[in-house]
Amino acid sequence: MRGRRHFLTSLFATTIVPKVGWAAVGSPAYLSAGRDRTGVFFLSGLTENAEITFSVPLPARGHAAAAHPFLAEAVGFARRPGLFAVVIDCSTGAVLATLAPPEGRHFYGHGAYSQDGQFLFTTENDFDASRGIIGVWDATRNYRRVAELSSGGIGPHEMRLMPGGETLVVANGGIATHPKTGRQKLNLPTMQPNLTYLSLTGDILETVELPSDYQLNSIRHLAVSQDGTVAFGMQWQGDRGAAPELLGVHRAEGNVRLFQGDEINHQRMQGYVGSVSFDHTQQRIGVTSPRGGLVQAFDLENGGDLGVFDDADVCGLSANQQGFIATNGNGQITRLTDLRPLERIQHAVQWDNHLVQLTDAHAMPKTRSF
Amino acid sequence: MRHFLTPFLMSLTVGTAYAGPVENAAILDEIIRPGFAQLTNQTTALATVASHTCAPQSKELRDAYGTAFDAWIELSHFRFGPTEAENRAFALSFWPDPRNAIPRTLNALITAQDPSVQSPDEFSENSIAARGFYALEFLLYDDAFLAIEDRGYVCSLIQAITADMAVISGEISQDWDNRYAVLMLNPSNATYPDEDSVTRELYKALGVGLELLTEARLARPLGTFERPRPARAEARRSERSVRHIEISLTALRALAAQLSAPDAELSQRSADAFDRAIDLAQRVDDPDFSEIRDPAQRIKVEALQQAVQRIRTEIYPDLGALLDVSAGFNALDGD
Repeated sequence: MRGRRHFLTSLFATTIVPKVGWAAVGSPAYLSAGRDRTGVFFLSGLTENAEITFSVPLPARGHAAAAHPFLAEAVGFARRPGLFAVVIDCSTGAVLATLAPPEGRHFYGHGAYSQDGQFLFTTENDFDASRGIIGVWDATRNYRRVAELSSGGIGPHEMRLMPGGETLVVANGGIATHPKTGRQKLNLPTMQPNLTYLSLTGDILETVELPSDYQLNSIRHLAVSQDGTVAFGMQWQGDRGAAPELLGVHRAEGNVRLFQGDEINHQRMQGYVGSVSFDHTQQRIGVTSPRGGLVQAFDLENGGDLGVFDDADVCGLSANQQGFIATNGNGQITRLTDLRPLERIQHAVQWDNHLVQLTDAHAMPKTRSF
Repeated sequence: MRHFLTPFLMSLTVGTAYAGPVENAAILDEIIRPGFAQLTNQTTALATVASHTCAPQSKELRDAYGTAFDAWIELSHFRFGPTEAENRAFALSFWPDPRNAIPRTLNALITAQDPSVQSPDEFSENSIAARGFYALEFLLYDDAFLAIEDRGYVCSLIQAITADMAVISGEISQDWDNRYAVLMLNPSNATYPDEDSVTRELYKALGVGLELLTEARLARPLGTFERPRPARAEARRSERSVRHIEISLTALRALAAQLSAPDAELSQRSADAFDRAIDLAQRVDDPDFSEIRDPAQRIKVEALQQAVQRIRTEIYPDLGALLDVSAGFNALDGD
């Protein structure tokens, strides 16, 4: 694969000199893209208490973001089919680099840094070949593109770095699209989503496919717990009343378990999961469904349905000190414990799809929860 | 119920939640169900004509094809429920086809003299690329397919495709009558928990139709100014490209009229905006967009594109606000 050898040799080559760290920008706990009342799209940092620490404009609607592990740098990704990703110095708002996908590629809106912060990985579409790509960019060399890897499927969407930092897990949604037909889905009858584990140099370590009844269930969003349990949210492409389970859990080399809430809440989701997250205990998995306007949670251990929180146009979801924190398209941010609202803050914006947690520091409770 | 409110009180309630059971029922009973019944009639008539006249240039066959296609285009934005079950809408209308799967698949069947044309069940197992209106268009209008000398097999293929279309249309129509209309008219079920969810579904269908217009039916042939793409126009071989736009606009105008009925002002703005777009469509005297490279033609199509885009940006969101189904920054994003 082009550039792969060079990329391999550079993997351990550079020492990074820290610039400004996250503490200098108000120690945000999360990143989220959004749109303000004047129609300007932006990327913001948010504290544990849902206060905005910084906001920097984006050239167009964003989707998700990736935070550098220690520098106050974040990449905001354009909404699919994305033609930009902007690396922002979150202390000054300065654009450090603008990433454009190479000819014949577009971004899907998600990405992840390597543990040492040297490399940024981006999910991309090689649309003429209808092939999923992981772009590799060297953050220490002004985000030069240094390699590209196969994602192991079509339509890679969210991607996460696994604990230990040596493996990427990719949600290959399975749906072929082409910029010339916008977001039109070109291969529904033959689509085949999967969950792929990749080494950082692109070796496919494991591919997980669901049984054929789930062929239309596009695997789209991911959460990874500290012990490497992967939760994945799906989007059903078939008849809407016929959606099967939309949340799965997998551990490397293990079996997939599928979770579903009670029938009404399941149907309310309209076959669509927006985000997935573990809570602060790592023992509960939350899913949002913007179409149904609800957050649901499940017990990782036994799949038990922990209930529902109604939240119109909710989509972003992350762990918070005492449970989950959810953002919605009406500008509200809600901190939840046991799916009950502890606090709800209104911002005069619309929060976009994903609330990205900055580090694992908040994954375990700092203070004892009750 | 708003029906009992005085005009004064009504003016105070503008912008509040309005789940329109009356309008929703009217859309089902006056647009969707008769539409699919009509589609079934027209595709059945087409299959009947094809059973005795399969010469592609036959006026009778082409007329029957055109009438049935008109009926489908009127409904092509109702992409939920019965049309999505078993990929029925895909099987009727596989477009766009950027990889040219349709001619490739048809050629493969013809070359192999594939026997599936003799059995409706077996034919329905074929790739969707060999089924429906767009596959049939190749057989009736495409020069390469018209030049095929073995007319016997092509005739069987035309008969198999038309019979299959009649079956699919009948299934959709029956599914609406026997199952889905009940779910939408009595919304306290798993599919539609409340009236708002029905309203939202119908509202989204309007959005789907507008999106199809701007992003596919218009955007594909327009391409860029430097590189127009007339060969990408929908149904250009049968010279139906602009006709589809006009039919779709007329159908969406009627759907928007029902949805906006509670608000006379918005209803009028919607009607005016659609009328303007329909008028602009009628001024495009280039039925298959083959002259889109001509700046004089292009400017007319761009004006049409802008008029449809304005419906999307100025009417559609206001309608969402009226129906209180506008909260969709994430819900409508779809990613």
